[in-house]
Amino acid sequence: MQAGTQSKEKSGWTWQKSLPLLGVSMGILLIIGPFMAGLVRSLLLWVADDPQVSLANYAWLFTDRRIQTAAINSLICGTGAMSISLVLGTSLAWIVSRTNVPGREIFKTLNLIPFFFSPYVGAIGWIFLVAPYSGLMQTTTATLFGGPVEGPNIYSLAGVIWILSLFYTPYVYLFVISPLQRMDAAFEDAARVHGAGFWTTVRLITLPLLQPGLLSAALIVFVTSAGLFDVPLALTATKGIRTMPTEVFALVRYPSDLGRAAAFGIFITAVTVALTLWQRAHLAKRRYEIVSGKGYKPRVIELRRSGKIIALTIEIIFLMTSVVLPVLALILVALSPLWTGKFNPANATLANFNYVLFEYSLTRQAIMNSLFLAVTGATIGVMISGLQSYYLVRVRSAFKSFVDALLALPLGIPGIVLSLFFLIFAIRTPLYGTLAILLIAYIARFFPFATRTITAMLSAIHPELEESARANGASWGQTMRIILLPLLRPALIAAWIMLFIIFIRELGASILLYASGTETISIAMLLLSENSVGYVAALALIQLVLLLIGFSLFRLTRAPVVQ
Amino acid sequence: MQGQGQPESFVTISGVTKKFGDFTALDALSFSVREGGTLALLGPSGCGKTTMLRCLAGLETPESGFISIAGKVVFDSAKGINLNPEERGLGVVFQSYAVWPHMSVVENVEFPLRVRGISKEERRARAMEILEIVGLGQYAQRSATQLSGGQQQRVALARALVHKPALVLFDEALSNLDAALREHMRLELKALQDKLGFTALYVTHDQGEALGLAETIILMNAGRIDTSGLARDVFMNHRTSFAALFFGLNVIEADKLPGMTGTKFIAFQREHAHLSSVTDSAAQNGDLVVPGRIATRSFQGLVDEYAIDLAEGVSIRVLDGQGHFSPGDQVHVRIKAGNLFRLND
Repeated sequence: MQAGTQSKEKSGWTWQKSLPLLGVSMGILLIIGPFMAGLVRSLLLWVADDPQVSLANYAWLFTDRRIQTAAINSLICGTGAMSISLVLGTSLAWIVSRTNVPGREIFKTLNLIPFFFSPYVGAIGWIFLVAPYSGLMQTTTATLFGGPVEGPNIYSLAGVIWILSLFYTPYVYLFVISPLQRMDAAFEDAARVHGAGFWTTVRLITLPLLQPGLLSAALIVFVTSAGLFDVPLALTATKGIRTMPTEVFALVRYPSDLGRAAAFGIFITAVTVALTLWQRAHLAKRRYEIVSGKGYKPRVIELRRSGKIIALTIEIIFLMTSVVLPVLALILVALSPLWTGKFNPANATLANFNYVLFEYSLTRQAIMNSLFLAVTGATIGVMISGLQSYYLVRVRSAFKSFVDALLALPLGIPGIVLSLFFLIFAIRTPLYGTLAILLIAYIARFFPFATRTITAMLSAIHPELEESARANGASWGQTMRIILLPLLRPALIAAWIMLFIIFIRELGASILLYASGTETISIAMLLLSENSVGYVAALALIQLVLLLIGFSLFRLTRAPVVQ
Repeated sequence: MQGQGQPESFVTISGVTKKFGDFTALDALSFSVREGGTLALLGPSGCGKTTMLRCLAGLETPESGFISIAGKVVFDSAKGINLNPEERGLGVVFQSYAVWPHMSVVENVEFPLRVRGISKEERRARAMEILEIVGLGQYAQRSATQLSGGQQQRVALARALVHKPALVLFDEALSNLDAALREHMRLELKALQDKLGFTALYVTHDQGEALGLAETIILMNAGRIDTSGLARDVFMNHRTSFAALFFGLNVIEADKLPGMTGTKFIAFQREHAHLSSVTDSAAQNGDLVVPGRIATRSFQGLVDEYAIDLAEGVSIRVLDGQGHFSPGDQVHVRIKAGNLFRLND
């Protein structure tokens, strides 16, 4: 018995060592595999059916006017969305964490809802709201004041920035609210008593102390909003205004040139990876502790009547524009048999829901596909991520910080770019056109969200809890099963729901990989948008209900949303 | 101590009441400090001393009362006056130091001058001057996060003094330092106060800190003044059981002791009890002599600390250097009449 145990130790092939490594290797494979496929494909040029190694795709990339325009448009969208959501997100976080605005505890939760909603659905909702001449706002104004009303043009870069800002404001909000709540109040008090007024204190003390969080938020919002496919597809792609992700799509479809698309994808990946690595290095230098643990809780600022009205107005406008109004528009459209820009309660019908849920096989199939992908993907994703987290927090390794950085890379890579690489990887294999390739791409793009959530909680669990189980005779497997997994359960559930929500609404990574029979809810919305907006609205609402269920369950776990 | 309205009163606090919900943190508190004087608000945590400091600084708003600093009314509930913290012209050393981590040492220190619109050259010169005084001249360009606790404390001190405030508030200023550093800083603070002549108000739970730094002490209990007076007097002459307990005396209900009548409590210092194994022949009239049994003995260096069980469930603590008693021994405890405090509340 003794000898047996020893030989097992010597072989070094224990579950304790191999399982975490398995999770890490799967993660790395999911990143490196498609990237290599994309890189190789970008360097190949077919000359008379003969593949040759060439830099021609890159040469084209840096000279083509379309690419330049798309890059500039993405830069505009990213910068615009970043600026607006920084201001809005910080203001909202400050209002609910530092002032006595009425209903602040409720607003704390409500402000997170857009984070769980689908930007694509939001964009569709806004089209119904303010499409030139036919949006609800235009028709309502026309009825009230007469005359056709054009209104603001939602089919523009400004429209894209507007939608992106609404949906990325919660990201900034999340980054800022925790330091705002936990910051030692003495930092601000010290400025006040030594002569600084309120606004001087905000400018010289509060904002600079929030700077690390603000910088992280700014970069994430910039990178993800510049790389988001959904919103520009819904608003500007049909108007000939393309951003980088929609240009990638165009390169794959009309006319199909995977080599050029791959080169473009590699370029986008290189830029985002460089940005995230720079941010990591920059933040590592500047991280400082703003929680002393000795000070008072931040003082709640007693707003005057006017201040309360302003704060409430900001809150209500944000929630109305990001959630209430677009959802209301979707409901009205979904209930109308034929949408003409006006809602007639007399004609209200559930026919659209009936059609997409029961009659139309494509939408029925799409809902089933999305549910299958979300449940299976979240389960596999949480398993891989849990093992990765164990490696990152508990295993001693010289490569840890490298692995950590590597495993975080998909956070910045646009979904459409990753799915392009997977398309190249799978196009000549039986995987192409199956749900499996969608599943793999989903997990590859989004597992870092789960890894972060689980890692955050695992870091807070003291290793002595496991060590004492081992000291008392439990094997590693028993320790995991009886001690660690139960302790970690809230984070595992939260991570699962997080992935479920992301997969239910996914569009960017699906668009290049779906085939007939493997459509998802978002894909079905896109396909139906040509025919009937009523079906689209009904389907969008079904998706929102699924997301809302996910959001409610997420709040029940009481897990914080981790970036 | 000077009362309100007397000309020597430099800081006047009158009838200040502060509530947090149902909890009364300050209950109509009144006291004053003379110009150049040093006062310590002493008491256990939750007694309201830090709340009083924050009301003075303008970081909390009392429900009612009156506060004036250097002839300027900063708070008057009757007239609706409540100056912002920045309008009160104070210096404050916070318990957590609150040295801003995104600024260098000298930027931290010159902050009060910067927000007062003083030119860059002048404020830099004045910040360097005060940094030299606190012994941090060579650290001026360091990031504040690279400093030790003691150094951060000096930065906080320099920042609180650089604009020559009339009144400087210290919130548990020394309690985060280790014992040796605390003693060193205490002496240094005293020297600085003599040199610069500011009026100082210390808030502390540490009697040593209060006694060493302040000429007058206010011992607070549940938002009220329990005892106040010159430091020596407050420490030596105990008038309440709360003060006696706070300063570590044995406090016993008088009716549980032989021959102690006409008072509610008897209190005495742990050092003032004399132990002997036989009946003490030196006992004089009025001394307290009571039999007991040694419960525990713990080594404290030059003396041993004994826990001694008396009759009727009374337990006392005694410091004694003789060192020949063991747990279980029967002893006689004697306290001289002059060392007994008779307390009525």
